[in-house]
Amino acid sequence: MIVKIAFKNIWRNKLRSWVVITAIALGIFGGLAVISTATGLSKMRQNNAIRTYVSHLQLHDSAYLKYGRLDDTINQQADIITYLEKSKKVKGISPRLKVESFIQSAGGTSGVILNGIDPEKERQVTDLAEQCIAGNFLERYKQKPPIIISQKLATKLNARVKTTIQCSFTNNMGVPITGIFKVVDIFSTSNSMYDELNAFVRLEDLQNLTSIQGSHEIAVVLHEEKEVEQFREELISKFPNQHIASWRGIAPDLGYADKMMDLVMTLFLIIIMLALAFGIVNTMLMAVLERKKELGMLISVGMNKRKVFWMIIWESIFLALIAGPLGIFSTYLAVNFFGRVGIDLSFAAQGLRSIGLESTLFPILDDKYYVIISILVIITAILSCIYPALKALKLNPAETLRTA
Amino acid sequence: MIKVTHVTKTYDDGKVRVEALRGINVEIKNGEFTAIVGPSGSGKTTLLNIIGGLDTPTEGNVIIGETNIAHLSENQLIDFRLNHIGFVFQSYNLIPVLTAKENVEFLMLLQNKSEAERDERTTKLLKAVGLEDQINKKPNEMSGGQQQRVAVARALASKPDFILADEPTANLDSASTANLLDIMYRLNQEENMTFVFSTHDQRVIDRAKRVITIEDGKILSDEIR
Repeated sequence: MIVKIAFKNIWRNKLRSWVVITAIALGIFGGLAVISTATGLSKMRQNNAIRTYVSHLQLHDSAYLKYGRLDDTINQQADIITYLEKSKKVKGISPRLKVESFIQSAGGTSGVILNGIDPEKERQVTDLAEQCIAGNFLERYKQKPPIIISQKLATKLNARVKTTIQCSFTNNMGVPITGIFKVVDIFSTSNSMYDELNAFVRLEDLQNLTSIQGSHEIAVVLHEEKEVEQFREELISKFPNQHIASWRGIAPDLGYADKMMDLVMTLFLIIIMLALAFGIVNTMLMAVLERKKELGMLISVGMNKRKVFWMIIWESIFLALIAGPLGIFSTYLAVNFFGRVGIDLSFAAQGLRSIGLESTLFPILDDKYYVIISILVIITAILSCIYPALKALKLNPAETLRTA
Repeated sequence: MIKVTHVTKTYDDGKVRVEALRGINVEIKNGEFTAIVGPSGSGKTTLLNIIGGLDTPTEGNVIIGETNIAHLSENQLIDFRLNHIGFVFQSYNLIPVLTAKENVEFLMLLQNKSEAERDERTTKLLKAVGLEDQINKKPNEMSGGQQQRVAVARALASKPDFILADEPTANLDSASTANLLDIMYRLNQEENMTFVFSTHDQRVIDRAKRVITIEDGKILSDEIR
């Protein structure tokens, strides 16, 4: 009966109850929408970085990272590659030779890192091939060695496909070397800074020019992202002389963004719950003060204060039980819909590219947040109506009947 | 039996001290139909509240049956009121979201009575107050007289020792007042239910079998008819 009265009580003032329910639902929706958007942005940035240039793991010779010398190539490369190719966790590996170079065309000059890659292997770890406009990922060429440059660099160099360009660098002996390449394709990733600083040539072409065998870097992509840290430990124990870093170590800003996101989400949850709590306190306090005489009557005729207390708690729980699912369900629908079709942010595409983001955002919300929000909404509802309920318990029945 | 001995009640908020009751002694036997009368501010509602355990005396004792309710704790008083006293208020004070039937069975639910017992007693009581055809109506769908009859049925539902009615006819028209008094008088005659009213309604005073007049917190007269 107490529960029944509580449920009926919230519909006494339908307009007020619906305003509160809508406010709570909108609060939940707004908070979760922001969380899902922020998660989507963070994940997009992270995935773009992993797919484009970071990969899950990178192996280097420790001296190469310290001194950046050309001949500090990975000294156990054959063993490492064999080990990686045998592992079922590994989806793809790509050895890279990296040379700092001065790139020059008839239209301009720039400094770049020349990446010597095996196109077939690189396809397994990055989506660079998919970013090429002509679909020629260093695979079709005639006499001159092929090179791929970014759209941004092409604009700077006033170059296009079939333009001949010259790359100057020094070999491991300090001897200046010049390589002539023909642009066979132009790529464009979502990270304009990366685009401007990188160009790609075939691994054997760069090895021939520099007289360096082997590679400076092995990029590894696993089937499962969650296995990265564990597999990194496995590799470190197997190849202790190599520097092995996961994407969190290579691009710590991505990892920080992840942690920052957790903090932001916690803050948002607190804000949502505070808004919910104030809404409920306000409504329930009004409901108690408006019904002083009735509550006094209930105590007069023999309803003990424990039951009065629970009646008010139940009223608040009902408000939350109606508003919570409304907010959560509308968020679920919106996140699922926009998670499939994406949110078009093309009006800010250029700005987004400069920070490694695409112009279509796919919001993501971990299922755990629906559960957490549901539990928090109930707890907040109960906690926030304790004060109004205690206020009701302090009523003196004789006084309320006389004065109300 | 209600026995009030040497009861005083003083309200003191630090600035103003009001002696609402000054040494009241009264006994009300089972089956009485008693009206406590007096002008506004005479202390009749205070006396009724003290008899009903809604307020505690500053001094004195209130013995109901064998219990001195002046010495009960707040929670014990709530339990005592539930099981021993029925209340009828001036402004009906029904639970607006419940139907007539639900209002009547409410106290029995608090007493943990079985559904069968609740149904049987609710039907009987609503029939006794002439509202058997209004059981599913909510208070705002009934007249003032009908609401007050529901309140009487509710007061009787918990099988109390007596019923306290504070100005029960103050908001009723003549016809409703007459009808309500008939019902209460019949319950008093047929079921020996004790009724104690506070009132200044002459129609109630005329039907009372005993009239206790209070003025300035003291009993001025006690007339048994």
